[in-house]
Amino acid sequence: MNGGFALMRHSARRVRILILSMAGLLAAFQVLFALAANSLQELNAFDRITALFPDFVRQLLGSSLITVMSFRGIACLGYFHVAVVATLVGLAIAIATEPATEIESRFLDLVLSHPLRRHWVITRSIALLGASILFVVSAMMIATRAGLYWLVSTDVARTTFQVVPLLSLNLGVLLMCWGAVALGMAAASKRRSVAGAFAGLLAMAAYLADVISQVWDPLKRVARFSPFHYYRPLNLVTGNADVSGDVLTLAGVAAAGFAVAYLLFQRRDL
Amino acid sequence: MPAPAISIKKLSKSYGRLTAVKNLELDVRQGEIFGFLGLNGAGKTTTIRILLDLLRPDAGAASVLGHDCQSQGLHVRAQVGYLPGEMGTYGDMTGRDVLDLFGRLQTRPVSMKYRQELQERLELPESDLRRKLREYSTGMKRKLYLIQAFQGNPPLLILDEPTEGLDPLMQESLYALLFEARRNGSTVFMSSHVLSEVERICDRIGLIRKGTLALLSSVADLHKLAQRSVCVTFRSDVSSRPEGVPGECEVLEAGPRLWRLKVRGSIGPLIQSLAGLPVLDVDVAEARLEEVLMRYFRAEGP
Repeated sequence: MNGGFALMRHSARRVRILILSMAGLLAAFQVLFALAANSLQELNAFDRITALFPDFVRQLLGSSLITVMSFRGIACLGYFHVAVVATLVGLAIAIATEPATEIESRFLDLVLSHPLRRHWVITRSIALLGASILFVVSAMMIATRAGLYWLVSTDVARTTFQVVPLLSLNLGVLLMCWGAVALGMAAASKRRSVAGAFAGLLAMAAYLADVISQVWDPLKRVARFSPFHYYRPLNLVTGNADVSGDVLTLAGVAAAGFAVAYLLFQRRDL
Repeated sequence: MPAPAISIKKLSKSYGRLTAVKNLELDVRQGEIFGFLGLNGAGKTTTIRILLDLLRPDAGAASVLGHDCQSQGLHVRAQVGYLPGEMGTYGDMTGRDVLDLFGRLQTRPVSMKYRQELQERLELPESDLRRKLREYSTGMKRKLYLIQAFQGNPPLLILDEPTEGLDPLMQESLYALLFEARRNGSTVFMSSHVLSEVERICDRIGLIRKGTLALLSSVADLHKLAQRSVCVTFRSDVSSRPEGVPGECEVLEAGPRLWRLKVRGSIGPLIQSLAGLPVLDVDVAEARLEEVLMRYFRAEGP
């Protein structure tokens, strides 16, 4: 077997429990959101819940609140809820920073003392990142579909699911983008804690910049540099967004991040 | 004449202001056991890591079996079995996982029969290989990683302090493996702090001090540099001022019936100078390589 694939297999075995449990947890979340949307729909409670929000919150959120407080909004909430997004970005960072762990523990000394090209360390991480994101997001999609088709009585369920693949695609590319940023940092770092903390703080700052820019115009220019700016789930939920531009932008950033990671890792001392 | 197993030319490596290796020149012949000695921080591990292309040198070049370590690193590493000084592990891997993973990373075929033989000789049975590494002692890890280094039967073994953590019986087993590897034409390049071990198993040694080679010698030649302690006892009183004693002898004590001397090199001239004296006994202690090496470690050597 090719050494690179042996390394991939080794890493996949190490993270499989984490990925499986994460996928299971988030899939269960999607089913719960579908059930919650159904329940609110049956009670016709969306308007009443919206009315419970204070005036300033309603003014601040504007049409976004109405979008979220709908059957589609609640059923798809699991794709853009801050806790879910933070968890997924954290997962992407954790997988992408594996090279830094291996450098720190000196495991890579042994790996690269064998006839294995250095690029395999980065290629392995990219492949693992892509496969993990694909698996988790697919599990979420399947769970949403299952929830909407089998557990929900309303007809709106079928039209709701149409936006989920696009949401998943955009979310998946966003996660690849953050994985690429973290991998770039891991490729230059000797410690996972440093690479992970920097990537995490950067993600948090980028998220806040994007959120605040929606209500504070001076930050709008800065927010363009935030990957979260190119993930607009509410527009997707209302069916008003062409996702291709955002996906291409995020894919471009991810590709640049991966290229930087290859370059840094190829040149560095281990 | 075959290419040297390892050839290092004017190799330098710094970490910021700290110079780890400076203009290092060294050739290791094929088929020898070469001891690479030095104090902590002398530059041994840095040199080894450059050979494996884990570190990139600032200047100079290193080659293994005729292949440049940087531009032809893949060829180099295909010929090397490596035991690191610091064994990076994941505690949740089993010993079997480690051997299988590193076996797959090799391009040389791993014989299961040979691996089994190594396990038996280093006393690491299957039951231990099924255990997680977090349950391994330091010595068990060392044995596991030695099997990993030997299992591909490589032409060059690079071992960073291979006996550290091994009990005396396992040390003997390892020595036997090293001698066997040499008999089969493999080269061993090992770093060590244990001077008695180096004296016993190495053909040649290189001593590195502050990043430069302070000594390169065969162990046999080094023995000649070592001083032997000689104690001469006399049947009756003799002069307490030894006269006619050759210049290479250092007189430590000279009583009427007992002389203590240190002799460097051949002992013949001393024996000749004792002719005619009422000698009762001559006791010659074996020369200790450690004394010579300690001089170099303390930077007293040339």
